[in-house]
Amino acid sequence: MSDAIMTPAAVAPSPIRTIAAKDIRDALRDRFVLIVTVFLGIAAVVALLTGAIALRNDVATYDAAKATLLALGKSAGEIKAPEFYPLRLLRGAIEQIEIIGAAISILIGYRAAASERGRQTLALMLTRPMRPWQFVAGKALAGIALLAGGLALVLGMLTAVLHLSSGVGLVPDDLLRIAIVWGVAVAYSACFFLVAFILTLHMRQISHALLAAFAVWLTLVLIAPQVGDTLDPDNQVAGGVFAQLQISKPDQTQIMKGFATFEALRNGIEEASVTKHFERFTFAVLGIKSTYTGMALWPVLVEMTSNLIWIVMTVLGLGALALALPLNPDRLAKA
Amino acid sequence: MSDPIIMTDKLTQSFDGVRAVDSLTLEIAKGEVFGFLGHNGAGKTTTVQMLTTLAKPASGTARVAGHDIRTDPLSVRRSIGYVPENVRLYDTQTATENLLFFARLSGVEAPQARVAEVLDLLDCTYLAHQRVGGFSKGMRQRVGLAQAILHRPSVLFLDEPTSGLDPMGIKMLRDLIIRLNIEFGMTIFMNTHLISEIAKTCTSIAVLSHGKLVFHDRIEAVTARYGDDAALEELYLSLTPVGRLAGAAA
Repeated sequence: MSDAIMTPAAVAPSPIRTIAAKDIRDALRDRFVLIVTVFLGIAAVVALLTGAIALRNDVATYDAAKATLLALGKSAGEIKAPEFYPLRLLRGAIEQIEIIGAAISILIGYRAAASERGRQTLALMLTRPMRPWQFVAGKALAGIALLAGGLALVLGMLTAVLHLSSGVGLVPDDLLRIAIVWGVAVAYSACFFLVAFILTLHMRQISHALLAAFAVWLTLVLIAPQVGDTLDPDNQVAGGVFAQLQISKPDQTQIMKGFATFEALRNGIEEASVTKHFERFTFAVLGIKSTYTGMALWPVLVEMTSNLIWIVMTVLGLGALALALPLNPDRLAKA
Repeated sequence: MSDPIIMTDKLTQSFDGVRAVDSLTLEIAKGEVFGFLGHNGAGKTTTVQMLTTLAKPASGTARVAGHDIRTDPLSVRRSIGYVPENVRLYDTQTATENLLFFARLSGVEAPQARVAEVLDLLDCTYLAHQRVGGFSKGMRQRVGLAQAILHRPSVLFLDEPTSGLDPMGIKMLRDLIIRLNIEFGMTIFMNTHLISEIAKTCTSIAVLSHGKLVFHDRIEAVTARYGDDAALEELYLSLTPVGRLAGAAA
C-alpha cells in the first residue's frame, strides 16, 4: 500500500465467475459433494445390477425351458425369447436419481446459502462493487455445475457398468439417449437445489429452511406421484383392470368418460410434480416404459415435449425467483 | 471540521414498527477514527448496514465518500471496506485464496501482488498459504481486516472489531487501525463496546441509545471535560438506559 487512497476504476470484471469458481473449489475441498456423488453412484449401480440379475434369471429360465423343449423333440419357437433392451436396466438408477438425487440437490442448495450466512461472508460479498443478483447467479452457477459434474460421473459409471454387464454393448443411439437424460437430470436436480437455496437464503432460521425444503421434496417426489398412481383406476389390479377384464379400447374410453372429473384431478396431482415429468420423460427416452421400448428417439422426444417444457420452465421460474427476490439484511448471518 | 466523508441526514430504519435507528443526523470528517458506542440493540449495526449499503433506510439518506447510499450504492461499495463481527471467511481455503477472491470481487488490478502487499502490511505473510480453518480468532480478524483494505478504501467500517480477542490481539488490532488511519489516511468507522479502546484509538465518538444520537464530540474535548477512562465510562453509562438504571439502583 505504497500510494495514497484510491478506489478501483470499475466494477469487478466477472463477479459471477469469481463466486462460482470459489464455490466449486470450496465444494471439492470439503469433499461433501464427492461423498454424496459416490453414495448416489453406488445406489444407482446397485439398482442397475439388481435389474441385470433379474434379466439374467429371465434368460436362464428361457434357456432351461428351451433346452427342455429341445430335449422333448419340440420346437423352441413355441416360447418367446426374452427381449433385451439394455437401457431398460437403468430404471432403478433413474429412480435413485429421482429420489436420492433430489434430496442430495437440496443438501447442496442448503449448504450453498447456509455456509455464507454462517461465515458472515454474505455481508462481505454484498459490500463489494457488484449487484446482489450477481451473487445469486454465481452461487447458482456453481451449484448447477457441481450437480452436472456429479450426475455425469454417476451416469458415466452406469454406462460403463451397463456396457460391461450387458455383453451386447451400447450403440451411439443409446449413448445419445443417456446424454439427453443427463441434461434433463441436471435441470431436474437444479429445481431442488434452487428450492433449498432460496429458502435458506430468505428464511430467518436456516434449520427451518432445510425442513421446508424437505417438505417440498416429500410432496413433489414421494407424495404427488404416488397419489397420482394410486388413484389411477387402471392401476388397481396387476396388469391393469381393463386388460384383466378384457374390455375393448372403445369401451374403456366410454367408461373413463364417467370419471372425467376424477381423472382431471388425478392427472392434476401428477402434473403438479416435476418428478413425475422427469420420470415420464426419462422412462420414455430410455424405453423403460413398454410403450416406448424400441421406438425411435425423435418421435419419443416429440411426444415428451410437454414434460421437458414443464421441467425447463420450473427450473427457469425458480432461477428467476432466486435472482429477483431482494436479500433481506436480517438474513446476512446465521440464525 | 474538515470535509465530511460520511454524512447522514435523518437516517431512519424500523423493524416490526420499532425504530432501530431514529432520524440519525451525523457528520464524520475525512481522516477520523470514529468510535460508535451504544448498548446492545441501540442501532449501531443497523446504521453500519445502511452506510455499507447492506440495508436500505426506511427514510432519510446518507452520503459516504461523496456517494449517496440510495442512488449510487455501487460507488459507495467501491469506496468502503467492511469487517463484520466474528468474520470467519472460507475455512477450506488459504489466506491468500480468501484474499484473492475478495480482491477479484473488488475489481482490484493485479490481485496477486496486492494480496502479497496487504499481507506484508499486516505482518501476516507467514499465514499466506495456511488454510483459514486452522486460524485463531486473532489471525482470522487480521485476514478479515486484510480483505477489507485490498481495494484501498477511503472508509473502513469495523463492527465490534475486538470482540473475542485477547489483550494481545486487541493491541495488535488497535495498532493496525491507527496505522491505516495515519499512514493511508483511511477514515475508520468503528462500532465498539470497549470504552478503553475508544480513548486509545478514536479521534471522535458518538453514542447511540435506542436508535437516537445522544452524544457526539471529538475525543480531546471529551477527555478534557471528563478526564480518564473511568470518567469516560461514567459518561457513557449516564447516556445509556442500562447505565441510568444502574445509577438509579445505586
